[in-house]
Amino acid sequence: MTAISAAPPRTRAAGYWIAFAMVVGLLLVAPLVLPPFWQRFATEILIWGLLAMSSDILIGYTGMVSFGHSAFFGLGMYGAAAALLTVKPPSLSLALIYGLVAAGGAAVFVAYFATRLREIYFAISTLVFSQIFYVIIFTWTEVTGGENGLTFGQPRLSILGLWSDRFTPTTFHWFVLAVVVVSYLVVRRITQSPFGMVLQSIRENEPRTRAIGYPVERYKIVAVMLSGLFAGLAGVLYALQNKFAAPDFVFFVVSGEVVIFNVMGGMGTLVGPFAGAAFFLLLRESLSRLPYLAEYYLIPVGIIFIIMIIFLPQGLLGFLRRRLNA
Amino acid sequence: MDQILVQTLHGLVNGMVLAMVASGLTLIFGIMDIVNFAHGDLLMLGAFVGASVVGVTGNYWLALLVAAVVIAILGALLQITTLRPLIGRDPLTTILATFGVSLVIQKYALWQWGPSVRRINEPVPGDFTLFHLQYPWYRIATAVLAGLIITGLWLFLKYGKYGIWIRATTQDRVMAQAMGIPVPLVYTGVFAIGSAMAAASGVLFGPFAGVTQTMGFDFTLRAFIVVVVGGMGNLAGSILASIFVSLLESYAAIVVSPAQAVIVSFVVLVLTMLFRPTGLFVPTPK
Amino acid sequence: MLILESVDAHYGKSHVLHGVSIEVRAGEVVGLLGRNGVGKTTTLKAIMGMARRTGGRITFEGRDLQGVPPHGLARLGIAWVPEERRIFRLLTVLENLRTGLDRPGITPAHRDALLEKVYAYFPILKERRHQAGGTLSGGEQQMLAIARAMMLEPKIILLDEPTEGLMPRMVAQIQEIVHALHRDGVAILLVEQNVPLTLDAAGRVYIMEKGAVRHHASAVELRADPRVIHEYLGV
Repeated sequence: MTAISAAPPRTRAAGYWIAFAMVVGLLLVAPLVLPPFWQRFATEILIWGLLAMSSDILIGYTGMVSFGHSAFFGLGMYGAAAALLTVKPPSLSLALIYGLVAAGGAAVFVAYFATRLREIYFAISTLVFSQIFYVIIFTWTEVTGGENGLTFGQPRLSILGLWSDRFTPTTFHWFVLAVVVVSYLVVRRITQSPFGMVLQSIRENEPRTRAIGYPVERYKIVAVMLSGLFAGLAGVLYALQNKFAAPDFVFFVVSGEVVIFNVMGGMGTLVGPFAGAAFFLLLRESLSRLPYLAEYYLIPVGIIFIIMIIFLPQGLLGFLRRRLNA
Repeated sequence: MDQILVQTLHGLVNGMVLAMVASGLTLIFGIMDIVNFAHGDLLMLGAFVGASVVGVTGNYWLALLVAAVVIAILGALLQITTLRPLIGRDPLTTILATFGVSLVIQKYALWQWGPSVRRINEPVPGDFTLFHLQYPWYRIATAVLAGLIITGLWLFLKYGKYGIWIRATTQDRVMAQAMGIPVPLVYTGVFAIGSAMAAASGVLFGPFAGVTQTMGFDFTLRAFIVVVVGGMGNLAGSILASIFVSLLESYAAIVVSPAQAVIVSFVVLVLTMLFRPTGLFVPTPK
Repeated sequence: MLILESVDAHYGKSHVLHGVSIEVRAGEVVGLLGRNGVGKTTTLKAIMGMARRTGGRITFEGRDLQGVPPHGLARLGIAWVPEERRIFRLLTVLENLRTGLDRPGITPAHRDALLEKVYAYFPILKERRHQAGGTLSGGEQQMLAIARAMMLEPKIILLDEPTEGLMPRMVAQIQEIVHALHRDGVAILLVEQNVPLTLDAAGRVYIMEKGAVRHHASAVELRADPRVIHEYLGV
């Protein structure tokens, strides 16, 4: 047993919550002190982190690598677009509902088929499913706007009809932060529940989990659906921030980045994917400012990614894994 | 009717090129359990190398050879540096690593050759007439050449000394080592062969639609599909599946746009994985 | 020639070999007896570098085998005939043989001579040379496994339960082959449960129990005094 687990659980949990409160506190203050560019940057990290965390439910906790998270994310965007374009006046809650329904619908579809497959077959099938959605969205120009996508206005921030105001970058950041914190706590609760334990047991040894009598397929279906819903939520937030939905975000590149975030940050930690997203986006930001490098920043990032897989398979926060799941 | 015949021809020709791409992928998977995400990008890189050689020398056949050799060496280096350290780890890590390789290759190509489409001139000139429609000889020549290369690979695997090493290693790595077969070297060699096949396919495909830095992903995806449909690691199955899927897509393109026709192959893949996960053409697993 | 000095080995976390010391001299047939699961197969695997060795030393002709890659053992002259035979099932009989025959530096004439020699021992393999290894019967697969090992022209063969599950006629044939190999000067480390065969073929015998060598005697002694065998093996 290591020193970490030797500490009494109570103090470990206290340490965790203190750290958690400090991080949330910093993120709350961030928009008030950061210049506009970095303010927006912080919001984006939260959104991409949420998407990556949704994928961590599968990659880190169930042992299934999804190469198709762009589909859920993208459908969340298009769902929000549908609500904001068809319903007047644009409503925030409807955008959320439509986006979640669209992503959830895609997740049901993918979950039903793909969860019967294991390992690489699952990875390939999620990739193929996301491409199906991509091709449909890309070619169905009348409805989706095809290559150009859809643009729309931002809804007002309203809370239960009691209070309503236009979004400012700062309030939007707080809104995203609230959604992300709640999502994180919910997902954390789920992964620590008996249900989450079964998922982790599937990751460790699927045949044994099945032999003990758990309906593994059903657990996987629920895991994919949960993952898809949170990915869709991230999509809605991204659509709200940028006021558009585009097929690029349904394309494989986004799914690939999600996997990168997880590997870089540390799979199976929920917090790791946020760190991975931050690390990747900061790397991109700083590298693409270098002369000669610009849009080729993915060359060094890709090399760093490969090196991390070989030498740091647990990712940046992997060493905190025990503590984060305490 | 005419259209169906032309589409059949089209499907067969595309199927042969795809079969060449897929045979390299399936060979690598069969022996190392590696799903090579960078396979299509090696193809793309090979096509660019080929296009450059054609640009300088004007000799298409030399370009084919140079591209295959250059990419084979690159493949061997990739295997040694990124995949060899991952032997014995979860097979999923190899997908992740090759995905990283794919990113790097793609952006390298963008940096080196830019975003525009490069053309490779057709090495065999002329068309022939098929029911009032012109069909280029080059496509026929490509299909034949792809067939010859695949046959060559098959003969090598069947009768060659190293072919037997490869098959023995595929079936039982530990026993192959006990028989004195240098398995790490065989792995590197197979990765090099697979890469060379991809590069050659890229040069063959070049004159069809030109060479772009983004073409790799499309080929990776298609190759994945036919390799799974044909049964992972099963060479003959992959070849049959390539032709089958390409024909289906060709026929589908009569009704819908080619961009939508790819959905047909996605559906075939999903059905195969659900109902015949060992492959469409294999009655029982090995 | 082959010397194991207090070898320890682990499978996962369980300690399966405790200080096993065994020696096989050039051209000698040595038996390794013991009940199921006492570590006989693991001892062979430790020699082949397939079991995690955690202590002790294994040398072959004075050379420490630590650090020799798995495929290097065949070059040194160590051949392995595993218990499960591990025929390359989709390769033909001839191709199975070729895995050991296609070595660097072997002349075509020498190859043919080796093949003919093995075919003379096992006529059935010649008859079936173009048949897939997986289609052979159990006894034929065992012959193929031995023949395949012979292709390496080894100095020693590690023979793991060659008669397991075979019909008596086949057992007799395997026994003959062990004798023939011995006459050719090939050393054999023979793991067996078949006591009469081992006492007939081997010069010396080690008896294992619970991952350790408990007794070591010449076959002549053991034949004269069956009580030891009875004590450890219950037969």
